[in-house]
Amino acid sequence: MRKKIAFFIFLGWILLLIGDRVDELRVYQGAQIAMYTIALASIVLLTGYSGQVSLGNGAMMAVGGYSAALTLNNLGSPVWVAFLMAIVASALFGAFLGTAAARLSGPYLAGTTLALAVGLPEIANQFNFLGGVPGLLFDVGFPPERLGEEFTQYKWFFWIASFIALLALFITSNILQSRYGRTWRAIRSSPLAAELSGINSSRMKILAFTISSALAGLAGAVMAMTISLVAPGAYTLTLSFALVTGAVLAGVSSLPGVVFGALILVAIPEVADVVATRFGGGENLNNYLPTLIVSVLLILSVIFTPNGPGEKLRRHHHKKKI
Amino acid sequence: MIRKTGVKRTWLAATVLAVGSLIATSLPAHAETGVTGSEIKLGITLPLTGAASPGYNKIGNAMNAYFKYVNDNGGVYGRKVTLIQKNDEYSPQLSIAKTNELILKDKVFALVGPLGTANFTSVHKSVGIAKRGVPSLFLNTGFSGFANKKTYPTSFMILPSYAMEAKIISQFIKENHAGKKLGIVYQNDEFGIDGMGAFKAAGIKFDVSVPYTSGTQSAATAQTWVSQLAAGGAQVVVFFGVTSATAPLLAVAAGAKYSPQWILGSVGADPLTLRALGVPLAVLNGAQTPAGNPSPNDTSDEYVKQFQEINTKYNAGTAFDDYVLQGMNIGLMTVQGLRAAGPNPTRKGLIKAMETKGSTFASVAYSPLGYSQTSNVGHTGYYMAVMDANGDRKPFGGKVKLYTTDSGSGPVVVSTFKRPAMPAKGLPSNS
Repeated sequence: MRKKIAFFIFLGWILLLIGDRVDELRVYQGAQIAMYTIALASIVLLTGYSGQVSLGNGAMMAVGGYSAALTLNNLGSPVWVAFLMAIVASALFGAFLGTAAARLSGPYLAGTTLALAVGLPEIANQFNFLGGVPGLLFDVGFPPERLGEEFTQYKWFFWIASFIALLALFITSNILQSRYGRTWRAIRSSPLAAELSGINSSRMKILAFTISSALAGLAGAVMAMTISLVAPGAYTLTLSFALVTGAVLAGVSSLPGVVFGALILVAIPEVADVVATRFGGGENLNNYLPTLIVSVLLILSVIFTPNGPGEKLRRHHHKKKI
Repeated sequence: MIRKTGVKRTWLAATVLAVGSLIATSLPAHAETGVTGSEIKLGITLPLTGAASPGYNKIGNAMNAYFKYVNDNGGVYGRKVTLIQKNDEYSPQLSIAKTNELILKDKVFALVGPLGTANFTSVHKSVGIAKRGVPSLFLNTGFSGFANKKTYPTSFMILPSYAMEAKIISQFIKENHAGKKLGIVYQNDEFGIDGMGAFKAAGIKFDVSVPYTSGTQSAATAQTWVSQLAAGGAQVVVFFGVTSATAPLLAVAAGAKYSPQWILGSVGADPLTLRALGVPLAVLNGAQTPAGNPSPNDTSDEYVKQFQEINTKYNAGTAFDDYVLQGMNIGLMTVQGLRAAGPNPTRKGLIKAMETKGSTFASVAYSPLGYSQTSNVGHTGYYMAVMDANGDRKPFGGKVKLYTTDSGSGPVVVSTFKRPAMPAKGLPSNS
């Protein structure tokens, strides 16, 4: 445990160094990577460990984002309380959804969560207190003055997002290595064998859904911070699919892989920009190309490496060592 | 254990490589951002696609056409002006992402003509426009909140505010439609609410009031608006929204044989776009609207004539309408701003030039510009116009009667202001 704590502190120190040495665009992208890392960790826990396929993580993120914004704007609470509320609200929502999800499996569960990803963010359009299409502002404020004039808003976002991501990864990694993680893997491998061993698989599945939702909600609040806004357009079906793709590419049962998956998701718009510029597709192509790339990557990944390149890489190493 | 270490190493290597490549492509900042010896780079976010794009998607190309014309005639102090357009689909979160690209990646010198009230509100906060000192010239929105110089010290409006527009429409209603049953359909965000506040302050009480959420406009929703207006017996209906909402409203009303006296807010009243969106000419005939600029068909106007020539040569195939006129005019004003900032422009210098010289800039609009060291207000008035059977717009009463006012409690007055002449050949020579 001490080694693990030291490793995460070292990682935090490295991130601080990187944050000081790169320009603002990269710092901003760093905050996005941190956000995606948390969101992908929620999928690894849910799908990779407990075996429940969810296509609705974007909706969970929306629950977290809106909870945080409503808390911050209406109660005037400190930012950390808003993040905490995002975790609590999305966990409760996840527990409720998990109760239904525990009765479903495979395509039925995927279909249900897909419907949620489509419908839930649109609810915001119907209620004025949720801000409609323009959404609600989520302002975490300027960085503390003692950090100096040169310390930018985006560096502040990067610091907060990185800290939250490291903490979330540390806690998730401990949960996955605990008896809960082992139990989830047992349920995923053989629900029947797990039940025969005395495991209450429904309860454990609900627990997985709850924790996964809490993580997704936290990611949603971090996303709201990085764009200073919560709006239906931020938590789209495209986001849910991008998260699934990122998780598959990272290897859906690999927690360290989520950082790489997050990097890919942030790099895709950059690649799209290069391609659009190279082929003279202009701004319209630039807007739609990232979605196309995500879809193509997901399809290719499913065809050639059904469990994701990360998983294949892991197996390749395993064979090599044997 | 061995397997785990191997996998970890692979992930570490992959992650380090990816982070490394991202860092390697980062470049340090140079001199004044967006200005080189041969180029001044500007950026705009606007909806090039999506529900709100009709009409607005022409503004960027029109600006570009004007800049190309200027570049072919020596540029601004020898530098060519380049405009980077980013498609935000009228979505605030996309505006933020695209503005980030413009400022952090493309490293533009200034934003010019960013569009949308909710969009710019979010962008200003999220991207930190003021803190970064990025000039944001000629916002394509009339939200009076942007006139707060303390909050928006680097931003400059161009359109009269929605509050000014509502006050002028109120005055017009009192003068011409007194005693009639009034209805209003408005976009239920800062845009519409800004106007509603001013209507209320001016003592206008609507018998039927129909708010709608931006992005939900369609023939189906227009059906409910028309039902409410007709049921309430509204004889004069004010519309305060975007063109993509005006079109279904007018089309559905025509289908339902509901024909009140329409007063269309300036934002959603371009006849050419409305016709392209399926509104019959007969419905437009007689519709009244506040207008800041002359009709784009008025070739007797020196600005319109010059801009039409530029459009024909540099924006071939694009019909010349209010949006193209507005885009060209923003281009004209931008070039004057850049020239006023001097041969070695800086962001601070540009903002100072706008404050000290901006009010004297040539502009196609009839009303005075309000820029000063304490104000970032653009144009300050409208005249009322009426659409004819050809879909053209003519001054109400036969000649331009210009009303000016402010966004607060100031009176609406008839102005005799004479706008500055168009610079020779449409090429500013100010300094």
